[in-house]
Amino acid sequence: MSLATATLDKAPEESVAARVRSALETVFDAVAATRADTTALLERVAAEGRRPATVDLAALRPGLHLRLARHELMSGVGFVAAPGLLSDVPAWLEWWQSGPEGDVRPLLLDLDPEHSAYADYTHWDWFALPRDSGERAVAGPYVDYLCSDEYSLTLSAPVHVEGRFAGVAAADVYLRHFEAAVMPMLRRLPGPARLVNARGRVAASTDPRHLVGSLSKGPEFARALASGRPGHTEGVRLVPCDGVPLVLVTAAVTTGTARKY
Amino acid sequence: MKQQHINGGARRAVFAPVDSRARVDTVVRRIGDAIELGLLADGEQLPGESELAGQLGVSTVTLREALMALRQQGLVTTRRGRGGGSFVSLPEVPGEERLKVRLRGWSTEELRDLGDHWAALSGTAARLAAERTEPEDLVQLRRTADELGRATGAAARSRVYGRFHVELAAAAQSARLTREQVALQTEVGAMLCLVLGDDEYREEVADRHHSVISAVQDGAHESARELAERCVQESTARLIALRLTL
Repeated sequence: MSLATATLDKAPEESVAARVRSALETVFDAVAATRADTTALLERVAAEGRRPATVDLAALRPGLHLRLARHELMSGVGFVAAPGLLSDVPAWLEWWQSGPEGDVRPLLLDLDPEHSAYADYTHWDWFALPRDSGERAVAGPYVDYLCSDEYSLTLSAPVHVEGRFAGVAAADVYLRHFEAAVMPMLRRLPGPARLVNARGRVAASTDPRHLVGSLSKGPEFARALASGRPGHTEGVRLVPCDGVPLVLVTAAVTTGTARKY
Repeated sequence: MKQQHINGGARRAVFAPVDSRARVDTVVRRIGDAIELGLLADGEQLPGESELAGQLGVSTVTLREALMALRQQGLVTTRRGRGGGSFVSLPEVPGEERLKVRLRGWSTEELRDLGDHWAALSGTAARLAAERTEPEDLVQLRRTADELGRATGAAARSRVYGRFHVELAAAAQSARLTREQVALQTEVGAMLCLVLGDDEYREEVADRHHSVISAVQDGAHESARELAERCVQESTARLIALRLTL
């Protein structure tokens, strides 16, 4: 269904939720392409009967650079290896970022636990969520003090080779860029609106009482996401951005179908 | 020959403009801290003079003076000719003695001011984190506080201590506070090794961190702020007390 039909058929909130979703789906497309490249690469290496090394991952670079150049919303992209995957290093991020002048550069991290207190990255949501669920995930909003020092969303998907978890393919969206992309959509709504994640953390807002980064407590955002259908609770209307774990929250007005949680 | 070097350096320092002297000290501290913290390894070659000066945003002259000071502290050696350059060298003197030399490079006023800045950052971060987190967001902070309770070696303790404050700033959902805290930890981190070697004090800090987390989890903004400030002030007070004995 095209977005134009969506706008005609649905309540304005549902149309906005669909647009937010398709904005993030373009980033997920880049994650999926990175995942496909990585899987093919690792399978090729496995077929040669050896363990992959950092030098093998260099083959991912042309694809990563192209995706970074093409996607305005994305500021970082790459593959994060599960510890123990590579033969020459204990841990590795094949990670590329857009520089301030539109240049593309690698992220170089000190991942030696003897030197760095940040060597273990396996607890971060962008790594742990896809590893544990086997599904794609959106982490954040969170302050990314490992890679970019930016307030970010990270979209990621697990990479499996021969049935084993090998790491995650991922892409970073800085919150300021996400805001620039979704604010025009939110502003089209008649009243104040905000996008929150499953835990109620605000990712974008046209409501000065609910600032980005704050927590909206009370309503059941996770349940709204699980149901995948619009509903209302405690005076607010919740519209899940079906397919991405964000919920559009507006004042409860009776448009479209509504379900009580 | 060596004596002349020192004399030459010292004489130049006397007549160097104050501002550029401060820049030399900053570079010396920065590179020295990196060596103490193990970010630069023993034997590692530093980038070439002009490249390093460019990266640090200082003139080559300033960088050369800083390298000379680092050579005098025994933290850098310079080899000439092919394959030459400046190399990190950890002298045989115990780390604690070297760190004391570094601490002596700070006046008590500078240490007090550093502590004020740190308390402002961590206090505000704790207050905001109390408003902006739910229990699930605090898992990593808890893990870090536990890790501090187990960490052996002053350098490892200091790294984990610093990470707690960086994670606290991230829990506040503030990229700016986090960046400031990361920068501050690169300054204070090496010196904290001097006070964290003491097991009893390490326990105390771990306890203080746990009580900050509890206040954050309870949404008790003001006590979270106070507890974080007190933790930082206590560390600063210990550094200043030690500085006064040197």
